[in-house]
Amino acid sequence: MYVDPRWVIVVVGSAATFSSLSPLVHARRFNFFAASLPHSALFSVALGYLLSATLGGHPTAWAVVLSIPLSCLLVFFIHRGASEDNATSAFVAFTVSGSVATVYYVLTKFPVRVNLWSYILGDPLLAGWEDVWTVVAVGAAMVTVSAFTYYKHVLIGLDREFSTLSGIRASLHDYVLAILLTLSSVSLLRVVGFAIEHIVILLPAAVAARVARGAREFYILSILSALAASSAGLLLSVQLNVAPAAAFGFALLALYIASLLRG
Amino acid sequence: MLTHVVHSGEVSIKVMDLTFAYNGDYIVAGENLELKGPGLVTLLGPNGAGKTTFFKLLLGVLKPMRGRVYLNGEDVTGNPLKAGVHASLVPQLASVRRDLPVTGYELIEMALRSRGVRNPERRERVKSALSLVGAADSAGRKISSMSGGQLQRILIARAIAAETPILVMDEPFSGVDPRGREAIAKVIEELGANKLVIVSTHDPILTLNKSKLVVVFNRGVKGVGTPDEVYRLDLLRAAYGPGVLSIEKCLHVLS
Repeated sequence: MYVDPRWVIVVVGSAATFSSLSPLVHARRFNFFAASLPHSALFSVALGYLLSATLGGHPTAWAVVLSIPLSCLLVFFIHRGASEDNATSAFVAFTVSGSVATVYYVLTKFPVRVNLWSYILGDPLLAGWEDVWTVVAVGAAMVTVSAFTYYKHVLIGLDREFSTLSGIRASLHDYVLAILLTLSSVSLLRVVGFAIEHIVILLPAAVAARVARGAREFYILSILSALAASSAGLLLSVQLNVAPAAAFGFALLALYIASLLRG
Repeated sequence: MLTHVVHSGEVSIKVMDLTFAYNGDYIVAGENLELKGPGLVTLLGPNGAGKTTFFKLLLGVLKPMRGRVYLNGEDVTGNPLKAGVHASLVPQLASVRRDLPVTGYELIEMALRSRGVRNPERRERVKSALSLVGAADSAGRKISSMSGGQLQRILIARAIAAETPILVMDEPFSGVDPRGREAIAKVIEELGANKLVIVSTHDPILTLNKSKLVVVFNRGVKGVGTPDEVYRLDLLRAAYGPGVLSIEKCLHVLS
């Protein structure tokens, strides 16, 4: 069985990235946002290709530039009093419609050099060295920022009003978390894939929350569970010739079921 | 417009012309109040009186439509970051999420961390606050597995650890069993010796005799004074409405 080191780096790196953000999402009840992220990421990536083909520049750079204001707009509307459910529904409606329209336009009007299917299904086995460096850079940044801001996010999640009295700018942290999630989501969409991205964001914390004995363990176990699931998923995918992202998702699900059975 | 001024010490809360409404439903309208500490102040009022909203206004969490709030002379109106320098909060138990895997110790430590307190001072302050409220033994447990009384002590310890001269406690006896209430009342009384402690409650029995002042509150201040001055049928009825109330039966506590 041949395992390319690039596959290992992108799979393990993206697992570390998302799983380091996962406890923050869980603590902040940002699940609604995480669930909408793949839609906005796909929309941004598709638009990025369109702009890249017409104006030049790197498609992922365009996607990042486009996606951050989109995500911040959702947070802004929620801060202005819109309910999370309603704002997310409208946001998903806009991004899904936009991504379908843009993907259709790109596929029919432009000679697409990169297969957009890899963004939908995720394919780390196609990763080149450029992808590897992207994952390493994004992963290092996300793990560092999440580790430094983790306790603040937990405190906001526990009791928002108390956290502001303790000197935390809770609204600013809402935007910071939204931007971190958006950057990870857009940058690593091709590795993880649209279809299971939100699972990779949500499940590591769900597993860790069931077994952790404290906040510190919660963060560490979230990352460890994703690292274990991603490694197992990669090996399974190579061995059994199944989609790597799917194997990763199933491995995470197996861990979650195991945590449920543990009681 | 009501004006109440009570002087008795160093720490102060001053409210000037405070006005706030939710969708046209006024919680306070042109309210003026000045409290000076240290000492225990009981904010007495029925459910739905707006006590929690009033606290949020005092702590800058809500911005009033009109008026100013001063803590120790500093204008903290609508600014919780400024208010947090002077005051800490013990929130209602129900407003704290309990489904996160966080221990009591971590809950206190996180608050100090966000205030920029570094180790070893942070550790010492957590330990000292836990010891003060008698919660050192339960602090290692997850908050999800604590009883209401245990968690309330942790929340009080968290507020104490901030070492602010003003403590605001929102219904600290709710969700706590009778034995736990007595213990918490004792801790609150001790805190009142050095800090200005404001406790909201709809059941004043535990704090009435320990309070230096009572503020009767229902959509505004209905009366302020010592327990003997304020705990009167007319004022209670102004706050709670007419009719026979179980709270009236508690007047004997003062005699």
